[in-house]
Parts: sequence; C-alpha cells; structure tokens
Amino acid sequence: MMRILLVEDDVEVARFVKKGLQEAGHTVEHAPNGRDGLFLAASESFDMLVLDRMLPGGVDGVRLVETLRQQGNRTPVLFLSALSAVDERVKGLKAGGDDYLVKPFAFAELLARVEALGRRPSSEAPVTKLKVADLEIDLLSRTVTRGGRKIDVQPREFRLLEHLMRHAGQVVTRTMLLEKVWDYHFDPQTNVIDVHVSRLRQKLDKGFEKPLIHTVRNAGYMIRAEV
Amino acid sequence: MAKTMSERPRVAARPAAPRLLQSAGFRFALLFVAIFSVAAGFLVAVLWWATAGALDRQTIAAIRTDATSLVERYREQGSTGLAEAIEERLALDAQNETIYLLVDGEGRRLAGNLRDWPTAIGEDGAWFRTRIQHDGAVAEARVHRRDLPGLRLLVGRDESERVQLRLLLTEGVAWSLGTVLLFAGVGAALIRRALQVRMRPAVATALGIAGGDLTHRVPISPQGDEFDRLGASMNDMLDRIAALMSGLRGVSDAIAHDLRTPIARARAKLEESLNTAAGEAELRAAMEEGIADLDNITRVFQALLRIAEAEAGARRAAFAPLDLPEVLRDAAEFYEAMAEAREQRLVTSLPEHLRLVGDRDLLLQAVANLLDNAIKFTPQGGVIRLAARETETLIEISVSDSGPGLSPRDRAHALERFFRADSSRQMPGSGLGLSLVRAVAQLHAGEALLLDANPGADPPGLRVVLRLPKP
Amino acid sequence: MRWLLVLPVSAIAVLPIQSDRPLRMTTESAEYCRTLAARLAETPQATAELPRGLGEEGRHLCSIGHYRSGIARLRRAIRAAQAEPRRS
Repeated sequence: MMRILLVEDDVEVARFVKKGLQEAGHTVEHAPNGRDGLFLAASESFDMLVLDRMLPGGVDGVRLVETLRQQGNRTPVLFLSALSAVDERVKGLKAGGDDYLVKPFAFAELLARVEALGRRPSSEAPVTKLKVADLEIDLLSRTVTRGGRKIDVQPREFRLLEHLMRHAGQVVTRTMLLEKVWDYHFDPQTNVIDVHVSRLRQKLDKGFEKPLIHTVRNAGYMIRAEV
Repeated sequence: MAKTMSERPRVAARPAAPRLLQSAGFRFALLFVAIFSVAAGFLVAVLWWATAGALDRQTIAAIRTDATSLVERYREQGSTGLAEAIEERLALDAQNETIYLLVDGEGRRLAGNLRDWPTAIGEDGAWFRTRIQHDGAVAEARVHRRDLPGLRLLVGRDESERVQLRLLLTEGVAWSLGTVLLFAGVGAALIRRALQVRMRPAVATALGIAGGDLTHRVPISPQGDEFDRLGASMNDMLDRIAALMSGLRGVSDAIAHDLRTPIARARAKLEESLNTAAGEAELRAAMEEGIADLDNITRVFQALLRIAEAEAGARRAAFAPLDLPEVLRDAAEFYEAMAEAREQRLVTSLPEHLRLVGDRDLLLQAVANLLDNAIKFTPQGGVIRLAARETETLIEISVSDSGPGLSPRDRAHALERFFRADSSRQMPGSGLGLSLVRAVAQLHAGEALLLDANPGADPPGLRVVLRLPKP
Repeated sequence: MRWLLVLPVSAIAVLPIQSDRPLRMTTESAEYCRTLAARLAETPQATAELPRGLGEEGRHLCSIGHYRSGIARLRRAIRAAQAEPRRS
C-alpha cells in the first residue's frame, strides 16, 4: 500500500484516478492545482506523486518537480499529460520525472506504472539472480533454468523475461515492455508484443504443468507463481 | 495552448503612413545629403587651399625671398646699396605690384614707394595687411617688416588682383555649393522615392498576407539586388508557412474526415447496445468494445500528430547521431516473430555500420510501418526483405515484399494520408503508415519511393525505398 | 589626420587689415616718371629699338597725366634694356 499525491485539475479525471488507486489499495491525497500540490508534497511524506503536466495556479507540473528536486525530495514522480510531443516528454523527464504517461490512458496502464515506480528497489544493491517459483534467471551468465532444466532464450527474450521477473507479481503493460525492453517510443501497429510474449511463454511452459506468465485482461502481462 | 490559438494576429493597429522622420527612406535620404555635403565641402576646402591658399603662400614666399635678398644686399653694401637695390627693383616692376619702404632711425624715407611709415605695424619680422592708395583707387597689400641696424624696411606686394581672384573663387564656391545642395536634395528625394518604389511590392505582399490571403508572393525583379534577396527570403518563409498551414489543414481535414467515422461507429454501437442489450454481460461487452474503439481512435490521432510533427520539422530537435543498422536490426527482430507466425521469412541485408544523424524513434516507426504493411500484404510462405546500403551520397533503406504490389494509379496516392488501395479495404490499419514514412523521409531531407519489388513478375510485390542524404 | 583639418583652415584664415588710413604711394607721379626716364637713359642698351619705343611711349603717357600706364611702360623699357644683349 502506498500513499500517493495526485495533482490534477480536471475534476473528472482526478475522481476516476483517485477512485481507481484507492480500489487498488492505496491512500490518495488530491490537490487541484500546482501551488497546493507543491505545498502538500513539500510538507508531507508520500511514496509517489502523480502529476498533471499542465496545472493552473502558476506552478505547473514541471516547475513543481524541479522545485521538489532542488529541495532534495526524491519521491518518484509520474507525469500525466495531454502533451504527447517527444520534446515535452523529454522536458518532463529532464525536470526530474520518472515516468510519463500521455492522456488518454487506460487506468490499468496508470496503475501498472504507478506500482512499477513505487516498488522500485530503493537500494541499488546488485541483484544477480531472480527467482519466481521454479524459474530462475542468472543475470551474470544470462542463463534461464526452470526446475533445474536449462532453457535457451534469445537475448531479447532474456531482457523481456528479466523485466517481467523484476516486476514479478505486478502487471506490466505492452507499452511498458516496448519502452523498457525494446527501448523505443513507437506504435507497433499490431500485436507484435503479444507474439513475442507467447513465444517466450511457449519456451518456459513447455513440459511444465503450471504456466508462469499470465495475461491480464485489458492490461498486460504478469509473471507469478500460481498459488 | 487554447489561449494562444484563439489570439488572432492584430492587423488594425498598423499606422497608415510613417511620419517624415520615422520614414526609413527619409532617413536614408538625409544620410545621403549629409555625406554628399561633407564630400562637397571637403572638395571646396581642398580647391580653396590649392588656389587662393596657394596664391597667398606664393605672395608670402615672394615677399620673404625679396626681403631676405635685400637684407643680404645691406650686409654687403650697406644702406646705400640697399636703397639703390630698392630703387632698381621698383624701376623694373612692370606689374606695379611691389611695395618697398626704407626709413632711417628718425623715420626719414631713404627709398621705396610709400610716402609714410604706417602706424601700428608691430615688431621686426611682423606680417600685416594694409590698404594702399593708387591714384585714387584703394587696393589691398601684404607687408612684411624687417629691422636693420638703424634702419627699418617694409617689403610688400599689392594683392588687389589676388583679392579679385579670391572674390571670384568665393562666388564660384557659393554657387557650386548651392548647386550641390540642390543636387543632394534632388538625389535624396530620388533615393527616397526609389526605396519606396522598391519596397512597394514587398509591402503590398505583406498587406495581402495580413489580409488573410496566403497566395501572395513578392515579385522578384531580374536585378537580383538586396530587395530581391529580401523578397526571395520572404517568399521562402511564406512557402514554408503555406506548407505548414496546408499540413495543418491536412490534419484537420483528416480529423474531420477519418476520425469522425470511427467515432460515429463507436457511438452507434454504444447507443445501440444501451437500447437493446439484453443483459449486463452484453452491455459490458459493448462497453469494452467501445473502449477499444476509443483506444484505436487515440492511436490514429497520435499517428496524425506524429506526421504533423515530422512534416513541420518540429522534431529536428530530437536528432542525434545513430547507427542505422542497429535500429533496423531491432525492427527486424521485432517483426520477425510476427512474420514467423504467418510462416513468412524476413530476410535482412544490412551493413555492419552506417552512421546517420536522425530521429531514432521516427526512423524505427517508419521501418516498423513498412514491415507491418509488408507482413500484412505478403501471402503465407512469402519473403520480406529489409535492406540498407550506402552510395556515395545517399543512404538507402528498402523494404520489399512479395505481395500484390500497387498499381501505378494507386502509387501516386499511396503516400497521402488515409489512402487505402481498394484491394486493402478489408485489412486492418489506419492508412497513415506510408504517409508517416514519407514525412519521416522528408524530415531527414530525403524522399520515399514506391517501386515494384520484382518488376515483370506476377504479383510484382512492393518495394518501398527511403533515400536519405548522407550526413 | 589632423593636417587634413588644419590645411584648409590655415588657407582660409586671412590676416586682418590693420591700418584704416590707406598708405599713399609715391610712385604714381610725374616726379617718378622723370626718375625712371633718367634711369632708362643711363641704361647702356636704352637706344635699342624696343626699350627706346617703350620709353618714348611712357614719357608721352606721363606727359599727358597717365602716370600709372606711363610708369608701367618706362619700367618695361628699363627691363627690356637690361635684357637686351650687349652689342660689343
């Protein structure tokens, strides 16, 4: 459970986001403008900020983040924005934002990103092995084993699997995979991500009873041990 | 954003005609007059110095020489010799312009042609000008005083002719200065007029544009002067604005035309299910479908914005050096899975490295669109080729498929927005893929070409070539 | 560069006229005519054609009161006489 500050001037969007995040089990404070948002963010402690990029009240999202970062506040920030141009995204991330989501968005996408951001490992202690149920990957030798049996994967499939396993138990959306695994911002036109995931899934689940990569309807994928 | 869009350019506040001092033409003209006058003044000064001044200096030199030789004479032959020399010089002075006076200590005249020693003429070595009387007529003279032991000597020259000449010169100078000023005035007026005449087409064009008609262009004269260059750059600017405007209009046309259809469809579906859905499950399904429709509309919208951004050149800020084969390999790897799923082969032929300065995301998007198209239109078992090569001046990226290809008629329109060949109506897709490819090529100062992949074969297949200039 | 400014100015600057009473010339009188005639007569080549003619003309002009032109003729006569090559 996280304590999240939502700074959003649009009443409807704010209500929708707040309700959704609360249903997902988080506590949400809402500020309708940049000034109040900055005041709250600076005076109270949050696990996460969800900011509209353009805000009334003289302090827009970018200014807000810049001010916080100058004060040494490192709380993760997710921008919501109707500005989709690449340089707007770059501006937002440069100011100290950690992620950038363009409106309109699916709530599942927002939630997945909020949780991915909020549960980032705080200490950058080097992890060399990731494990989910009987699946294990070694980040140094870049090998995958399941139930002691070695599975051959291509380099990209390894990165895909690594990303899923770093966020084990969390939903990872297709756009997140595109951005994080392929490192491009583009529209693949078709469901190519699904093809890649199902290829990986076939390799992992072949000969095993329990599937590990699950499709989350209307959202994306999640890797977790079946309980 | 909305605020700036609603602000209209202000036209009304423009002053009708500039006041005289505000007019650049007038100021240029004034500058011209000033320069002209300074030059003329300098010329007159030099002329004066060379004529009247030279005469003056000549007189002074003659007097000085005369006086010196007389003093010399005195040293050799004493006062008698000096008086005799003066009388002789006077006797030989046919021009009647020399003036001498030699007096002794008491002021008695010993020689010369002046009756009295003039009053108040300074010390030894002094120069002065005075008036002398020739039978009734008064003339001017320049006189030099030299003192000798017990004697005082005046040596001078009648200057009446020189004064005459100077008067003449002064008159001439006054006349020519007047003429110069007149010419300067006329010249200034002409310059001002010429400026106004040369500016008029540009002003007329600007007024036309301000009036809302973007088709006006500054007429370029064959002279190729500064004004033509200004006009040409104005025209370039206007062309660019017109291109941007038409791009913008294209986007709004596209939004009006092609976004309305899916919006209408989604709306109709939702409305229908609201009225007729039998149960909650059916209603839920309809809503999910509605959301999917909306997502699709958002994607089309996003693609349109990307094209507009690329066409406007607004993304040039994101240009960075990149290794093209790396991007292409990523694209190939990404789509290979999809091709495999359709039992197609994706064959690449890429060089090791190919340096390029460009927008990585947009280049990938363009190639992704091409590969996506190729995979969609190639039948099972077909081959898709992604290749890149460099020539001396160009970098060529090509995607070929073994699909049905495009008829020459369709090819002409295939790069336009929302074009879809009749044969592909039932295929999924926005119809924006190729126009984005073209926009990306243009953003990189290149072009996109549509060719037959296997000319003469049936089906010919399609080969799309992106030709980009080398950095 | 300063000489550019100085030269025209020095050429234009004129000494003021000092005495208000014009100085009288002594060389425009019958007396000076005689002085010059005597001087001409003393000149060795005064009998040559040109000096003699000029001298006569000068004396005549002086005698009818045109001192200035007469004196000019006499001076030219003396000048011509001095310039005349000596007959040996």
